[in-house]
Parts: sequence; C-alpha cells; structure tokens
Amino acid sequence: MSLGLVLGKIMGHARSDSEKQSPYECGFEAFEDARMKFDVRYYLVAILFIIFDLEIAFLFPWAVALDGIGLVGFWAMMIFLGVLVIGFIYEWRKGALDWE
Amino acid sequence: MIELIVFYIFGALLLGAATMVVVMRNPVHAALFLVLAFFCSAAIWLLLQAEFLAIALVLVYVGAVMVLFLFVVMMLDINMVTIREGFARYLPFGLFVAILMFLVMGLVVSSDYFLSDAFSTFSHVREGYSNTQHLGQTLYTEYLYQFEIAGAILLVAIVAAISLSMSKAKVTKAPNPGDQVTVKKQDRLRIVKMDAEGKE
Amino acid sequence: MSISNEILLALPELSLLSMACLVLVVDAFSKDPDHRITYWLTQISLAIVFLLVFTSIPDEPRLAFHNSFIDDAMSSVLKCFICAITIIVFLYSYEYLKENKLMKGEYFVLGLFAVLGMMIMSSAYSLLSIYLGLELMSLSMYAMVAMNRKSAAASEAAMKYFILGALASGMLLYGISMIYGLTSSIQFTEIAAISMTSVENSRFLVFGMIFMIIGIAFKLGAAPFHMWVPDVYQGAPTSVTLFISTAPKLAAFAMAIRILVDGLFPLVADWQSILMVLAVLSMAIGNIVAISQTNIKRMLAYSTIAHVGYLFLGLIAGTINGFAGSMFYIISYALMSMGTFGMIILLGRYEFEAKNLEDFKGLSGRSPWFAFIMMCLMFSMAGVPPFLGFWSKWFVLKELVASGYFALAAVSVVFSIIGAYYYLRIVKLMYFDKPDKMTAIKATKQMRAVLTANGLLILVLGLLPNSLMQICLTALAH
Repeated sequence: MSLGLVLGKIMGHARSDSEKQSPYECGFEAFEDARMKFDVRYYLVAILFIIFDLEIAFLFPWAVALDGIGLVGFWAMMIFLGVLVIGFIYEWRKGALDWE
Repeated sequence: MIELIVFYIFGALLLGAATMVVVMRNPVHAALFLVLAFFCSAAIWLLLQAEFLAIALVLVYVGAVMVLFLFVVMMLDINMVTIREGFARYLPFGLFVAILMFLVMGLVVSSDYFLSDAFSTFSHVREGYSNTQHLGQTLYTEYLYQFEIAGAILLVAIVAAISLSMSKAKVTKAPNPGDQVTVKKQDRLRIVKMDAEGKE
Repeated sequence: MSISNEILLALPELSLLSMACLVLVVDAFSKDPDHRITYWLTQISLAIVFLLVFTSIPDEPRLAFHNSFIDDAMSSVLKCFICAITIIVFLYSYEYLKENKLMKGEYFVLGLFAVLGMMIMSSAYSLLSIYLGLELMSLSMYAMVAMNRKSAAASEAAMKYFILGALASGMLLYGISMIYGLTSSIQFTEIAAISMTSVENSRFLVFGMIFMIIGIAFKLGAAPFHMWVPDVYQGAPTSVTLFISTAPKLAAFAMAIRILVDGLFPLVADWQSILMVLAVLSMAIGNIVAISQTNIKRMLAYSTIAHVGYLFLGLIAGTINGFAGSMFYIISYALMSMGTFGMIILLGRYEFEAKNLEDFKGLSGRSPWFAFIMMCLMFSMAGVPPFLGFWSKWFVLKELVASGYFALAAVSVVFSIIGAYYYLRIVKLMYFDKPDKMTAIKATKQMRAVLTANGLLILVLGLLPNSLMQICLTALAH
C-alpha cells in the first residue's frame, strides 16, 4: 500500500502555483501569516534556560575532576552555585517563571 | 581506516546540513538543519578525542542556543519573501567572499606547518586520558578566580534579562474571586451630594 | 601563598560580590516603591569596600590566584576612587531616578556589579581576568542604559552600545588570542619577558597588540572608535550617562596600563606611535565637533573624546611620570564630569531635562551659587588655571615635552584652546544671557550639599594639585 503512495508521489505531476499554496480561509483572502509574533516571555525563558545550561556545562568537568581538585575546588563550585542560586531566588521573586 | 570512513560520513553530512541551512525556505527548517550540523561537528570532535567540546556543543548549542534561535525566528515574524529579494543582487559579492575564504583556508592548510607528519595521521592521546578531567583539574584550581567571575557574569545576565523584559506590570484582566467576595459597598458605590437644579 | 591568604587579598572583591547578592535578594523581597533600603544598602556596601581597600593599601605588589590577580598601590588607589566616585554617582542618580519615575532596584544592583567588574579590571594581572572584568562591567552597563524602556532613544543607545561594545570585545579577544599564540601565556610578567626576548616574533606581537589597542580605544571612546559615545551619552538616562562617564574611565585606564605597560612594554615604540595617531584624532574630532552641538549631553560626549586624547598623551610620554600624569588626568576628568552631569540632573525636573545649552541661560539669576559651581566646572574642563583641569593638562604636557614630543605638545595646546570655546560659551550663557523662564531650582539638601562639595573639590584640588599628583606617583612607582 505504501508502495502506491510512494509511486504516486514520484510518478504523478504536481503543478504547484501560488493559489494552490495559499492557505484556504472560507473564500476570503488569508488575513495573516500562519506564523505570528511570540510573546517576549518565551524568549526570557529560553535565555534563563541557556544560563542554567551553561552552569551545567561547568558542573560536568568539575564532577569528573572532583578527586583531584581538593576542598578548594569543591568550595569554588559551591560559591559559583551559590551565586546562581541567588539569581534563581531573584528570578522566582520577580515572577519570571510565572505564566500569568 | 574506520576513523577515516566515519570522518568522511560526518563531514559529508555536515556540509550537506550546512548547505540546507542556507537554502531552506522555511527558517524553522533551516534552524533544524543547523541542529543537524551541530551534531555532525560534535561527532567530528569526538573523533578528534575532544570529548568535552563535543558534549558542550550538544549540551549548550543544540540544547539551549538553538531553542533560543527558534524562538527568535518565530518571534521576529520574518517574511522570507522580502528577505530573499536581494539574493541575486548580493550573489556575486557573496561568491567572491566565499571563494576568497576558500583560498585563504587552502593556503593555511597547505602550508608547511600543516603538511608535516604530525598532522597527516590521527594522533591518539594516551590510554585513560580524559580532557574533561584535565580541564576540570585546571579550571577549578589554576583559574579559580576567573571561574568565580564567570559566575558573577552569569548572575548579571539573569538580572539584566529579567529587569529588561519584565518591566511591564501584569495586564491580565481576569478577576480575582477573593477580591470579588470581600468587596465592600463603599469600594464600588460613590454617593455624590448635588444641589438640586432650578428651572432655567 | 596559601589559599586563605589569597582570598584575603581579594577580600574587597569578595565582599562586594556578597553584598551585591544581598542587595539583589533584599530588593526582590522589598515592596517599597522608592527602594530606600536597596539604595542605602548599596551605599553601605560601597563604603565598606572603600574602607577595606583604603586600610590595606600595600607597599609591595602582591600576586594571587596563580598570578592572575595583583594587589598593588595602583589598583588600590583606583579602587578607592572608583568606590568613592560611585557613591556620589548613586547619590545623584537616586534623586534623578525618583524625580523621573525610573526607580528600579536593579539599577543599583547592576551598578554594584559594574563596580565589581571595574575592581577586577584594576587588579587583573592576566589577560583573562582583564577580559572577564571588562565583560562584567560592560554587561551591567548595557542593561543600565536600556533601563528606561519607555524611551526609544535609550533603547537605540543601548543597542548601539551593545553591538559596538561586543565588536570591541571581539577585537580585544582577537588580539589576546594572537598574543597568547605567540607567547603561550596570558600572564603579564610572562608576556613581557617573552616579548622582550623573542625578536623574530615581535612583528606578529605588534599585530596582536594593535587589535588590543583597538579594543581599549573602543572602550575609552577614542577617535576613530568613538562612534558610540555621542549617541549613548545623549540617549541614556542622565544618571547612567553620569555613571558611564566617570568610574569606568578609571577602569579603562587601568586596563590600558596593565596591557601596554605591564604586559607589552618591550613594544613601547610601536604603541607610542599608534597612540599618537589616536590622540591627535581624538583631540581634533572631540574639540571641533563639540563646538557645533546644541545638546549639552552630546557636547560633553565629544568633550570626553577630546579628554581621552589628552589621557593618551601621558602614555605616549612613556615614563613613570607620564603615566602618573595620565592617572591624574583621568581621575580629575572623572571628578569634573561627575560634577557637570550632577548639575544637569540638578537643573532637571520630571519630564524635563536641562538637555539643551539654552537651558543654562541666565542661571546666575536663578541661582548665583550653582552658576558659580558650574563656572568652576567649565573653567576646569577648559583647563583654565588655577582649577584642577589646568593641572591635569599641565602635568601631561610637561611630561610630553620632557620626552621630546614638542610638535605633539604644540598640537594639543592648539586643540585645547579650540576646546575652551565651547566650555566658555556655557559660562557666557549663564552670566550674560537672560533666562527664558525664572523657575526655581528644586533639589534636596543632600544633592545641593554634595554638588557644592564636588565643585569646591575641583577648586581646592586645583590649588593643591601636588597632593593628588603625589598619590598618582606613588601608585605607579613600582
């Protein structure tokens, strides 16, 4: 059955023109593009995600090298994480994680 | 031998994906091909035994930066037709730059330095060596100070992003049921004393 | 050195970081629309850091964190000035933000982080620390410029500042990578040692150095890399312009000294000739274009460009005295600029800003005292004796002549005479023109008192210039 579909796709000729490609909207011209503007919040969430993702990128070599870096290395990461936890508290309080 | 085959497969995939990024009509598809390109480069990095770079590329670029790219592509509401209008006009200049870059790359790679034996074969690191571990070993001891500054920079990025995009007060119009129940007469009703108006 | 001793050396930075975090959290939890607690906590943290630095100025330079951090007299003196200047800047800013309904707690938090970046730059002893400090400072300042979301001009200014700043960072990084490739080190003493010995590589070192100088020139706003300065100065909220034009200049000076003197002194002949071009261009463009400006913030932006040119003159001299002259210059410029922008804030009201030169008309009638202070500031900027600005030009030019650059000194004198015109024009507007309307000046007592002190400081330091010069000389003595 799938062979029929594939054959039809290959052998058949599809004449595409702008009218056929345009979206159908009950006989009217299309009002707007299917793509619409997103709220800036999506962007904010993505940025915050990147920041915490970078933090994970820092955590990775730390975890691997933890044996060799001693207490100093351990506390270095704790301070780093502490600073970012402050950022997280701020983010939470400001409602950057709420969605209305 | 097998390394060479894997390299060529991923190299070809990388080039193909990169071409598709440029040719694709739909910016979202282009972004998805960029993801593929990142994956292939990560594979090539793995082949060069730079596993941390490969992981970072997938984790940070594919995981986070591409999400941001996609959001930006969607948010900006780009009309591809208007963007493509200048294509023919800029083509000669673009080709010129591309050829120039290709020549420069060729000159660099064909220099004596890169033609030496050290670069003609895959060099292997010794057994049990991990450059992630090596990186961790230096980053958290020798570059401790710089590492903490990086933390401060990330915090500033959080503060800046939030303070610049959250400045508007909430504009929701949904009523709060608690407020509706506790409302008092004097909150809503205002009685105004007025003098009676005489007949004109 | 043990790690606890190293941490002790970086105690000011560490305490500033923790205080900034504290301020951030406190501000997030406070509901006060005036952010009084945030403001006072910010000022207290700056005062604490000032005291920490002030009480531990070292005689001998001390290195820490694998030689990427230095605690020496220069860094301590600069940090003291950065903290003191920022305290006054925030005092002016607080009035401005309250009056213009722009009050946000993040302003002070980002300001603290910018100060942290400047302190890191002042005591950085490797290219990586310098770069990270610079990014910390710049990132905070981009956000501060964009803080007024309602103003299209501010958003545009922030965009320009961000893009050109990112470009400058890219240039700097490119230069750093070249230097690192050639010397295989990012630590200044090692770079200096290697560039001293490797003669065959010096051509390529100069190449990397040029990119780094471009980065520095961008950040300082020297011509021909000055394009962002007028737009950012004009578009940003006045309190942010005030901040940008004062403390960061000191940090940029530290960056220039560290890179050019501590790191690349063997290439002194090469960077002298590059700086000469930058200096002459800056003085020319800054002083000549400033004449045609009607917006005072824009005019002061061009004046900054010109002042950066004079700053370079001291570096060109290439001696300790010359560097001390430059340090004197940049400190006195920061003090003058602080007073002048403070004056613009003082004359402004809600939704009205003393942004045009016309707004200074007849100030002597409206407030003789502040007209006098403004006159002191303008005379000082123009370099009229006995004000501070005269001595800063004097020291720089003296060293320049002592090093044998007579033509350059003559050119800079000519440009400073041209530059005097637009400063004195403001004095003329204040004393000899009739005001359009006689509105009284509305400002708090604090603001008046500090601004008065600021103006008088210019006069007093102008009468006793040797005390400040002595500080600069000892700071650079090692």
